[in-house]
Amino acid sequence: MRISKEAVPGVPEAFIPEASGPIIRLDDVHKVYGSGEDEVRALQGISLTLDPGDYVAIMGPSGSGKSTLMHILGCLDVPTQGEYVLAGTPISQMSARALARERNKRVGFVFQSFNLLPRSNLARNVELPLLYAGVGRAERRERAIDALRKVGLAERAKALPSQLSGGQRQRVAIARALVNDPSIVLADEPTGNLDSKTGQEILELFGELHGQGHTVILVTHDPNVASRAGKIIRIVDGKVSNGTSA
Amino acid sequence: MRLRLLAHFQALRVPEAILDGLADVRAHKLRTFLQTLGVILGVASLVAVQGLVDSGRRQATKFFDEFGGLTKILVVNRPSKETVVTAQQLASYGLTWSDAQAIRQEVPSATLVDPIASEELSIRYGDYERRNDVTGATPDYSAVYKFYPAKGRFLIQDDMASQARVCVLGDTAARRYFGNEDPVGRILTIGEVGFRVVGVMSRKEFYFGDGDHNALEWMNEQTFIPLTSLYARFTGDERKRVQYINVIVDKVENNPKAAAAIRSVVQRRHAGITDFEVINRAERLKQRAEQNQVFNTVFMVSGIVSLLVGGIVIMNIMLASFRERIREVGVRKAMGARGIDIAIQFLVESILVTVIGGTVGLGLGVVFAQIISNLVGQPAVITPQMAVIGVTASVTVGLFFGLYPAIKASRLNPVEALRYE
Repeated sequence: MRISKEAVPGVPEAFIPEASGPIIRLDDVHKVYGSGEDEVRALQGISLTLDPGDYVAIMGPSGSGKSTLMHILGCLDVPTQGEYVLAGTPISQMSARALARERNKRVGFVFQSFNLLPRSNLARNVELPLLYAGVGRAERRERAIDALRKVGLAERAKALPSQLSGGQRQRVAIARALVNDPSIVLADEPTGNLDSKTGQEILELFGELHGQGHTVILVTHDPNVASRAGKIIRIVDGKVSNGTSA
Repeated sequence: MRLRLLAHFQALRVPEAILDGLADVRAHKLRTFLQTLGVILGVASLVAVQGLVDSGRRQATKFFDEFGGLTKILVVNRPSKETVVTAQQLASYGLTWSDAQAIRQEVPSATLVDPIASEELSIRYGDYERRNDVTGATPDYSAVYKFYPAKGRFLIQDDMASQARVCVLGDTAARRYFGNEDPVGRILTIGEVGFRVVGVMSRKEFYFGDGDHNALEWMNEQTFIPLTSLYARFTGDERKRVQYINVIVDKVENNPKAAAAIRSVVQRRHAGITDFEVINRAERLKQRAEQNQVFNTVFMVSGIVSLLVGGIVIMNIMLASFRERIREVGVRKAMGARGIDIAIQFLVESILVTVIGGTVGLGLGVVFAQIISNLVGQPAVITPQMAVIGVTASVTVGLFFGLYPAIKASRLNPVEALRYE
């Protein structure tokens, strides 16, 4: 259900619940690393808006600032200047501790190199976001198995990551990204370490997630991967370049 | 209260951190072994020392028990060391039989009072003839030294009153004088006077550890006659001087009070002159324990030093293996772990490693104590105290030396940690 602005008069836009407005709003975001001669302007005024259920690819050559953008979108970092609102919550000024909570609640990460914990079995890997959300053990286990079931690996819950193929590991990572029911799924070159056939399967899985109403953001330099998304945002020299649609 | 503590424990995800830590220990057996080595040796030496110290203390107490226990107070002659002697001091001639009587009457907590004097006299029976120490004792002697006759009886009050010509022999003395004959009823010639043997004492034995030296053999060599007979028939001492007075007090707690009372009674009787010394055995044992404390401290310090070294090794290895865990910290942070979650996980792991080391060290320490006790011939005592010492020491080390790596890990920037190859 959409709650219109008029339904809650007097409440600033930033505090309106997530269902109302855009899921992501970036307003003139800058990110500067270092200072003086070493100063690197990674992002130079990015503004963009994504709606719930969007399937977006962020493209750009290396050094364009797309990784920095991804870190800010994933609440791993905060902008030097500008406004970032995720699901109605302003992120820009948050402390590290509050940022950790937002990441935990709102963002599901999928990495190029899977980043599973090698000594924990699949179920424990998938449970990780729930653990840090403070969910009890029994519920954690149940939801982890559910998430594994969605990616077809529920039977292997007790296996270690090293016993799986690359494609299977990425499926586990996707299950982990979904287990906390996040506002956005943020995938950084998710097919970069996979052969093309397996990569296709993973991309199909992202397509399914999009079909189920998840907001999916792919970060990639591969046009074939980007073409799967409904919308492409090109980053060049820390800015959004023109011609943003596919 | 306990429930709330438990809730905190779970909110800090300690159980999960323990599970992860155990998985890590299993995955790095050699690393864990190297990490724990210092703690193992440190705890082992602490525990071994504790065991030996305990055992030493128990043996000393047991030895004292064999001849009077801790309730015994000894009053001995100790002439003044001053070179200029006053008339008053000249008037005093040391401890006497009547000092003992006065103590018996005026110190209520003194249950047994036993004055003793001895004299070297010739002893003859058949072919045997030699000069020996003869002890003039009172009936209390037997109870004071927990020294009882095996055959016949000890001296009694009647013997004292009648200055009887009776004697009682220690086991070794009896063999020496009479060989295989039964001495009871036979006449022993002491200093040309015939004394009838009325009793032979049971043997006294105490061996420290495995040693074959009987520390109480001097008791078996004794020849006892009534103190009154000694005065009347040999020394002719009208003042009835004694060498020392044994006093047994009803309770160990009363020792200090009784010692003070004895001191004031005897001093008054000696015209205010301190020509004697009151030796409180409980006090002595305490002093000895204090002297031992020095040795204990030395061992303690060496144990603590090796624990410190062990802790530094743990920190060193944790920092060395830190690199391979940076990625993991990044992933956990991306999943929403706060700094405190990471810190607790690292701390739990270092404590886990030290507790494993402490447990192994505890076992090893018990073995050490056993081996050393076999070498020095002293039984080792294993107490629950040791387990407490071992575990406390190792947890403290883990906590202290785990703190720096834990804080370092908790402060990692998630972006850089994730990017780390």
